[in-house]
Amino acid sequence: MNLPNYFLADLPPEATLSPTMIAEACQTLKRNRERYLMNRSTDGMVKVLSNVAESWLEPDYSFRKYALELGPAQTGFPHATLMRGLDDFFKQLTRENFHALLIQEFGDAKRLDALTATPADQKQNRLAIVNAPEFQVHIAAGNIPNPTLSSIVFGLLTRSAQFVKCASGASFLPRLFAHSIYEADPKLGACMEIAEWRGGNVELEKTLFAEADCVTATGDDETLAVIRAQLPVKTRFLGHGHRVSFGYVAGEVLYGSRAKKIVVAAADDVVAWNQLGCLSPHVIYVQLGGEIAPEHFAQMLADELDKREASEPRGELPAEHAAVIASRRGIYEVRAAHSPGTTQHWCSKDSTAWTVIYEADSRFQISCLNRFIYVKGVADLTAALQGADDIRGKVSTIGIASPEEKSNEIATQLARWGATRICLLGQMQNPPLTWRHDGRPSLGDLVAWTDLEM
Amino acid sequence: MNNDLSSFAARLRELIASRQSAIGDPQFSELALELFALQFKHNSAYRIICEARGRTPQTVEHWTQIPAVPAAAFKELELTSVAPDERMAEFRSSGTTGQKPSRHYHSAESLALYEASLWNWFKQNCGVRSEECGVVVLTPSPEKAPNSSLVHMFEIVRQKLGGAETAFVGSLADDGAWTLNFAATIAALGHHPQSAIRNPQLLLGTAFSFVHLLDHLAERDLRLKLPAGSRVMETGGYKNRSRTMPKAELHALITERLGIVRENIICEYGMSELSSQAYALASDEWRVASKDGAAHHSSLITHRFSFPHWTRVQIVSPETGREVSEGESGLIRVFDLANVFSVAAIQTEDVGVRRDAGFELVGRAQMSEPRGCSLMTA
Repeated sequence: MNLPNYFLADLPPEATLSPTMIAEACQTLKRNRERYLMNRSTDGMVKVLSNVAESWLEPDYSFRKYALELGPAQTGFPHATLMRGLDDFFKQLTRENFHALLIQEFGDAKRLDALTATPADQKQNRLAIVNAPEFQVHIAAGNIPNPTLSSIVFGLLTRSAQFVKCASGASFLPRLFAHSIYEADPKLGACMEIAEWRGGNVELEKTLFAEADCVTATGDDETLAVIRAQLPVKTRFLGHGHRVSFGYVAGEVLYGSRAKKIVVAAADDVVAWNQLGCLSPHVIYVQLGGEIAPEHFAQMLADELDKREASEPRGELPAEHAAVIASRRGIYEVRAAHSPGTTQHWCSKDSTAWTVIYEADSRFQISCLNRFIYVKGVADLTAALQGADDIRGKVSTIGIASPEEKSNEIATQLARWGATRICLLGQMQNPPLTWRHDGRPSLGDLVAWTDLEM
Repeated sequence: MNNDLSSFAARLRELIASRQSAIGDPQFSELALELFALQFKHNSAYRIICEARGRTPQTVEHWTQIPAVPAAAFKELELTSVAPDERMAEFRSSGTTGQKPSRHYHSAESLALYEASLWNWFKQNCGVRSEECGVVVLTPSPEKAPNSSLVHMFEIVRQKLGGAETAFVGSLADDGAWTLNFAATIAALGHHPQSAIRNPQLLLGTAFSFVHLLDHLAERDLRLKLPAGSRVMETGGYKNRSRTMPKAELHALITERLGIVRENIICEYGMSELSSQAYALASDEWRVASKDGAAHHSSLITHRFSFPHWTRVQIVSPETGREVSEGESGLIRVFDLANVFSVAAIQTEDVGVRRDAGFELVGRAQMSEPRGCSLMTA
């Protein structure tokens, strides 16, 4: 498959970007938006987006085939991991889900198109419409593509012109997605730009930021602070800093076949995107007192990860990354030898493909990822949250397995603690389209409202 | 004191000091197995690790099968057979803030062996002749840094070369960080015209202390022209103590600002958990043809580190734990016979490329240590 030269990211690697090229690209995007995008209807946009997503789920779709064929080399994710990740993402982009998202964010699915009133608005004798920024810039971090693809989808839905700046070596999937939109609707494709450069190129970024009405960025806190400092005051900034996630399994559900299902769900979360996203668990807290002890849970998870390695192998890692896993295993091997009651470890044989560490110590532990998971025994949820105190306020997702009647109570406790997303274990890397990223409205933060008071 | 280990240490000291022949592979294996049996017997923390791995003196047949312990295990366990009342020195790793340091205990006799080991390999690599050479050490003195194996090593070198006690021009900041007394450094380097005798100087220091010095000289646009034959030995990482720079840049600046030619710059690789060090000359360059075999493509390999003959190094695959092939990268594992009273087989967290019997240093495995995430300290 030969991709046409639609985007800056399509240029050969030796091409150097200049501030002039960036400035011109921004002007073209804004012009094209005015011509082709701003007067499109929400229904029309939903149709295009859901159709493209449906195509991505078809085995013979050329972009999908291309993504799965070249993706492993381009992204480092093995075929099966990539396929599952992309499928989970595109399955979310249905008409129903878009409708639910629009209602959630705006109260009325037509808010982007015309002045409308919900029943509550009517009581207030008020109509309202929302306007999206003319031009959005997305600064995308490298590891997994979902946040970038979501940003593109939200930008299109709200009819902004968009410039997506990918981290060095990370433009492959965003670029393919943009091409797939271009193919479905060239006029929409002409309102997007995808480019790639190593972050910190002040000249290019200065030019880009000067044009932006709204900048979204993902990355570590330092990167976000640097970007924010470069933006004019009038520019809206939506930064999503680095977050970590964990799981919690209540003792009551740890019996027989249910325990097996929970172990499979935990493995799903560890395997998804090779654990590299902010939504992937570092630790799974397992409550003591169930039929299955935390150590046993860890052992079962190790068995499951071993099985997964056969069907969905993690893939090769650069020596430096593997060295981190090997070194950390070495430390736990020593601890396990000296205090087997409080530390145990399970490792894939002759590879670093997966690792399970059981620790009685409940203190949250940052994993070195790539399928390296901690299982920690705790008396209850309160003990787990005490253990996780170091990361309080920096948590993205908590995946839970608990009796249904208790999930409300657990979620309330987690919410008060500061969690923003609680989901079923097994779904941690698969947030719905309506997910409020870091507890913030996904469309609501992009737009401005205009009220008409009657 | 343990007689078995003491007699082993005494024999090894003789072998190290002997100029006749290096320890060949068969003899090394014999010594390593003998030492393994002794450490298994006398070092209970180590024995527990070996037993968990199913390796005992009865099952191990070759030195390569001797269980290596992670250097990081020295942070958590007393991996020593030096009894508490015999401990004369405790060398600690210079870990990052909030981390427990490694502790490597030494008695009088283990220090004697350590000193024999360091001096014999140092003098073979540093190419300096005693008495005729001044010594300047860019670290705090042994009194100020009693737990630094590096400072202890520099002190031994200073004594052996007859350097003045004032050779140490570093000091400690309030937070314990190492700093340089620039005036003393420049004076010690003989920058004053009245210093008539212009003997070659030997400068010893960490990479970050050299950066501090070079930055200071650059700010004042100073260039020192050290006497011909002067040498630099630099070691270690930056540990956030200064800006980092690639070795080639550091060495170029040393040449520019201190007038020391590249051939006289020596790099050291060592750690508190070992009793021997590896050295590489800045000029120790290898040209290897690139994989595509194109005639005009060759890459320059600098800094091939070599340990002394009483030590063996393996570069092991992090995936399989087995030794990698020539030119491949992996984790550096060192078998140091001079570690008689602790553990001879040390698994480092450093990544290297196997080059013949030595290695090229790539760097440290980042974030390998638990609790090492920036989120935790923010």
